[in-house]
Amino acid sequence: MRLVSLIKVSLIDMPVSVQVPRAQEKLDIILDQVTSLRSRLNWLAFQHAFYLVTAIGIAATAAIFAAAALLSPLQFLVVAVVVAVLAICSLWISIRSGWRRRSNAVRAAALADERAGLKGRLTTIVETFSNRRRGMLWSYLVEDALERREDFAPSRIERHRIARSWWAPVVAMIFAAAMVPLARFHRSLKMAANAGAPDITVDLDDLHLRPAEPGDDDGLDIQADAATMARLREKLAREGVAPDNSGTGKLGGLVDRARNFAGNMQSRLRGDSKQKQRLTLRLADNGAGLDPTNPRGADPWRRDSRRGDQAGQFKREDGSNDNEPDLPPIDESRHEPQAQPSAGENGEGGQDLKQRADASAAADDPSKQAQDDDQLRGEQSSNGGSMHGIGADPDSLFGEASKTRMSTEGFEIAIEARAVDHGAKGAGQAYLPPKVHTPLNARQQPDEPIARTEVPSDDRTTIQRVFER
Amino acid sequence: MTETQAALETPTVADFARTFRRIQSEIHKAIIGHEQAVEQLLSALFAGGHVLIEGVPGTGKTTLVKSLGLALNLSFNRIQFTVDLMPADITGTRVIATGEDGRREFTFQPGPVFCHILLGDEINRATPKTQSALLEAMAELQVTVSGTTYPLKPPYFVMATLNPIEMEGTYPLPEAQLDRFLFKVRLDYPEEDNLVRIISSTTGAEEAKVSPVFHGDEAPHRVEALKKLVREVIAAPAMEQYAARIVRATQPDHSRFVNDSARSLHDEMVNRYVMFGSSPRGAQALILGAKVRALLDGRANIAREDIESVAVAALAHRIMLNYAAHTDGIDAAQIVERVIKSVRTVRA
Repeated sequence: MRLVSLIKVSLIDMPVSVQVPRAQEKLDIILDQVTSLRSRLNWLAFQHAFYLVTAIGIAATAAIFAAAALLSPLQFLVVAVVVAVLAICSLWISIRSGWRRRSNAVRAAALADERAGLKGRLTTIVETFSNRRRGMLWSYLVEDALERREDFAPSRIERHRIARSWWAPVVAMIFAAAMVPLARFHRSLKMAANAGAPDITVDLDDLHLRPAEPGDDDGLDIQADAATMARLREKLAREGVAPDNSGTGKLGGLVDRARNFAGNMQSRLRGDSKQKQRLTLRLADNGAGLDPTNPRGADPWRRDSRRGDQAGQFKREDGSNDNEPDLPPIDESRHEPQAQPSAGENGEGGQDLKQRADASAAADDPSKQAQDDDQLRGEQSSNGGSMHGIGADPDSLFGEASKTRMSTEGFEIAIEARAVDHGAKGAGQAYLPPKVHTPLNARQQPDEPIARTEVPSDDRTTIQRVFER
Repeated sequence: MTETQAALETPTVADFARTFRRIQSEIHKAIIGHEQAVEQLLSALFAGGHVLIEGVPGTGKTTLVKSLGLALNLSFNRIQFTVDLMPADITGTRVIATGEDGRREFTFQPGPVFCHILLGDEINRATPKTQSALLEAMAELQVTVSGTTYPLKPPYFVMATLNPIEMEGTYPLPEAQLDRFLFKVRLDYPEEDNLVRIISSTTGAEEAKVSPVFHGDEAPHRVEALKKLVREVIAAPAMEQYAARIVRATQPDHSRFVNDSARSLHDEMVNRYVMFGSSPRGAQALILGAKVRALLDGRANIAREDIESVAVAALAHRIMLNYAAHTDGIDAAQIVERVIKSVRTVRA
């Protein structure tokens, strides 16, 4: 009997127990649909952030890569820093934007209300379903919302499965695809220009040294024997042109370090260690051979190289400067370190070194050498030629009159110049002075060397005094 | 409790909307035009508030109130406020009366305030002292006379009219009393078409007859049941916050009564023209009015649209404008509209 009564009781209670889950089921259907919509919105928010972050990453990398290939170290450094800062800011904004787009249930419900015109039904349900006292109109609200469940289906509220910002990485990839070949093309052009240029040989004494632009690596490879390299180091130390000393103060040092860093970065990004084609600069040590106190003066290689060096010009290995004009002989004693100005100081290194080259050539032939030595001595004791006005001994101002006829045909300075990248100073290109043709004054004499003449003995004392002053 | 009584006390959302529309249509038999005013009037009634009607003479203020009383089949009294009207004339007074046993004793003679629907015509003609006699009745549904409190029978609904053009010899309503009116309804001049209809319907032999929607003694219960249903409408926290934000936005930053001005919406127009913004009663009015609107729309929840639709009626009379607003021709309704626009922009 008790069992039967229990069954009866359970049967009586059934409608109530069935009704409660039904109301809850209706609510669950609505909440599930809102949850589904929320998931879709959050997925889109994640995609949005991901696409933007990816796009920014690709675009920034491409920009830095292109800057490494196209710009000088300092420019590259500035651009890279600016791009990096912009990229970091953009990443922060993108991530924050994605984070803000994320939805909780209330936001998803509000969006559904707005897009489906539900006038706050879903928002009210989601915000108040956890309240204990739901009020007598709660069931009406749930029923009312459930009738409109088709209106707030996730596929109707948010049709997109892929975020609209998908175009951002595509644009970034197009940009990168355009930048990489551009950089490579620019690099290959530069390499091709270097590849066409033959090796350069220059005398160590003619080498004008200046502090290198930090980070400026133009692909120049210096080759010389060990002794010459040692002298080069000595010269570097003597003239104080080591890159570490080039900075002016703390700020300069920092800038140099930054340039070095930027240069290294550029090299890495460009993959220079593997692909870079280098120019070879051969160093010859002619000065040492002419120094009587230097035992290396007898080194035949140096003498050969001195002979090959065409008067201080960068000599191409293909021997294109063989047809040099005859030049007046020079005094070999000028090559002594005390009396010899560096080529870079007097600006006449070209002519001076030409003469020295001839002198060295004459040294191979003893008879010719003797004749040339006479000429050199005469030049030293008389006029000095290119030594005018450089503070030489006034006693050697006067000499014999020139035997060779001087004219423009017999005097030539060949200057071979090539544009090189001087880093930050040159901003990518060496300065090329504009070609200006200025018409000569009608009364101006032609620009010809003055023939050496005999100085009257009466005037010699006066001239000597002038020079002594 | 019988089934009929239960049904009366638990009307559905559909019942509410149907009843509301019926009352509306009955009133419009006598009142031509003024649809919005009538709807606001009924909204205030079912929201449990009182209404201040502002309109020029001859726009049907008294007719409107009369029609409402007739349609609802509720007791209706009218007080014509004048300068010499005393508080006792409104609330009632104790008079000496002879009882059945021949003894003479003080008995309370109820004033016109003891009714369901009270029309205070041209309330701003009475002195503040008399005006304030209505305060207790409006707020607490009771009247205290000579230390004895007399409750009023619900539903109790006060409609006061204001004549905005005759300012001579009038006493502007104190803010405390203005704040007790849920809505301020404005009756403008009728449009030409409506005016023609008014002429034809009021100058002929037949007079418009308003039929009661409720019958007999059930009217107060039905009205109370509908008022109870309004209170059951669900207001989500977001909606309550929206109403609060609107009310806060009406308060100028420079007000010494505003503590957390950093959190409020800084509207230039409000700061320039408003002396005092809306009180918290304004927020209550917004929500209650919105609830009625929601029921009329067949919803059990309020939406932002509901709040916005009653904002001007609920807030305009609670905002005190400064002299600059008067000189620039700015009225409180413009301020409220601006505030709603600003709050909506911030929300977006």
